[in-house]
Amino acid sequence: MADVAAEQARPIERVRGAGLEKALPYLFLAPALLLVLAVIAYPMIRGFQISTEFYRFGRPLRSVGLDNYREAWHDKIFRAAVWTTIKYVFFAVLFETALGLGLAMLCVRELPFIRAVRLVLIVPMIVTPVIVGLVFRLMYASDVGLLTIVSHRLGGQEIGLLSGETSAFWAIVALDVWEWTPLMFLILLAGLQSMPQEPFEAAKVDGASSWRTFLDHTLPLLTPVLMVAVTLRLIDAIGTFDQIYVLTQGGPGTATRLISIYAYNTAFLFTQYGQAAAMLIMLLVMVMLLMVVAVRMMRRAAR
Amino acid sequence: VSARLPRIGLYLTIVLILAVAIFPFWWMLDTSLKQPVDIFGGVTLYPHHPTTSNYSRLFDVYHFGAYLENSLIIVSVSVAFSLTIGTLAAYALARFQLRFGLNQSALVVALLVRMIPGILLVIPLYITLARWGLLNTRLGLILIYTGLNTSFVIWMMQSFLAEIPRDIEEAAMVDGDSRLTALWRVVIPLAAPGLAATAIFCVITTYNDFLIALSLTSTTQAQTVPVGVSTLIGKIQIEYGPMAAAGVIGALPIVIFALIVQRHFVRGLTLGAVK
Repeated sequence: MADVAAEQARPIERVRGAGLEKALPYLFLAPALLLVLAVIAYPMIRGFQISTEFYRFGRPLRSVGLDNYREAWHDKIFRAAVWTTIKYVFFAVLFETALGLGLAMLCVRELPFIRAVRLVLIVPMIVTPVIVGLVFRLMYASDVGLLTIVSHRLGGQEIGLLSGETSAFWAIVALDVWEWTPLMFLILLAGLQSMPQEPFEAAKVDGASSWRTFLDHTLPLLTPVLMVAVTLRLIDAIGTFDQIYVLTQGGPGTATRLISIYAYNTAFLFTQYGQAAAMLIMLLVMVMLLMVVAVRMMRRAAR
Repeated sequence: VSARLPRIGLYLTIVLILAVAIFPFWWMLDTSLKQPVDIFGGVTLYPHHPTTSNYSRLFDVYHFGAYLENSLIIVSVSVAFSLTIGTLAAYALARFQLRFGLNQSALVVALLVRMIPGILLVIPLYITLARWGLLNTRLGLILIYTGLNTSFVIWMMQSFLAEIPRDIEEAAMVDGDSRLTALWRVVIPLAAPGLAATAIFCVITTYNDFLIALSLTSTTQAQTVPVGVSTLIGKIQIEYGPMAAAGVIGALPIVIFALIVQRHFVRGLTLGAVK
């Protein structure tokens, strides 16, 4: 047995020997496996189960099959939340990608600066999201907010971005862009810096314009990294909750009510766990479909 | 001169971008050091009559110390557990060919944890913790965070451990070490930078979590810093001074940690897809 294992020079080992030595890797793995089962797999399965139950006052009354899904599907408020989420995610990620790419192209040649720039730019995205919400509260508030105070100074009116439906929506998009453009920037910068130099030197010799060089060489070479960055941002943006919860709670009206906010309220305000679970599973399915589509599209673009 | 001009423009753009990134935080710090009169008094870019009274109110009236204590205990215990459990598992996955496709499972689980909307997990967890009497306890949160972090630790450490040559620990084992002591004495010290980066990532994500802590706790017995901060924002009569002070104190530990780990930052945030 040992000879066979030695012949196959693998980067990783076949489990060899007998008794304890053979069981050891599995023993190493066991605690982690148990935990992941308990905290991730079990709740997932229970989540599916809960989504088929009817709850009243926080207790399951009876199994209702797929009624919760049907109800959510026909629920106007849920549909509005889905639409708001799609708009929010689309515009936030679009602006972040464009700005991040622009910034990365701008900075790629400025190496002496880059450490300081990076140091500053990681701050918005690592600070606790709730505190980011607080920070923007201090900017947006209609009484003491920075915007209002500046406007007063200039002889203008109070600015209450969060009290108008349209302005509140764009205000939270702006927050997301402020918070996450740095991530796009850092990932794309890493991508740009690891590119091979030859195609660019060749393009220079050929006298190609910088715009052509960008389209012909930079973008195709950057696509895999861009794909990772956009996909991760899409996933995270769809689940945005904290900043909106502390800033607007989904209001005014339904202007900033994302699926996550609506599902949270359904579960923890109205104790309709079954319906909330059904909505969230639909959300999960959407996220997974989106991932598949995104990966496909970008693979095709890369070709 | 013609080459200089765009260069100056570039520097100005970069400075402007940095200002946009950092100014909101300065505004929070500024507000936290102002007296109430000055907060409403108009735009001043630094506190003209600096005071620490907002900070003392934060601790005396709003009991912010309790949130900090909860966060400290919950974050440190859960990160320590998940690092131990996760590194052992990562070692097994990085070094051995296991059955049932376990070697490939770590990435799938790590990605899944990232994709599942947090609330979807929270609803069943809420019902389960309620049954076990673990709602509104530090232990309940520790269990959940340990589980969520473990999948991330496994995935990150697997890639760090795979970079360490096997010969080193095999030599140690020839010299009489057991697998476990070789791991502890030889492999872990070599993997220390990766381990530290992973640890700090776990600290940041655990400390920053709001949704789970919000849903599963209800009093200062177990509420963490983000939940404490949100209760200050949610007040009908917002006291802006203490609220800003809470933001400053709450953000400080994370900023310090993040600056230490910044070199590994992109790798962690992209689950290792970009190094």
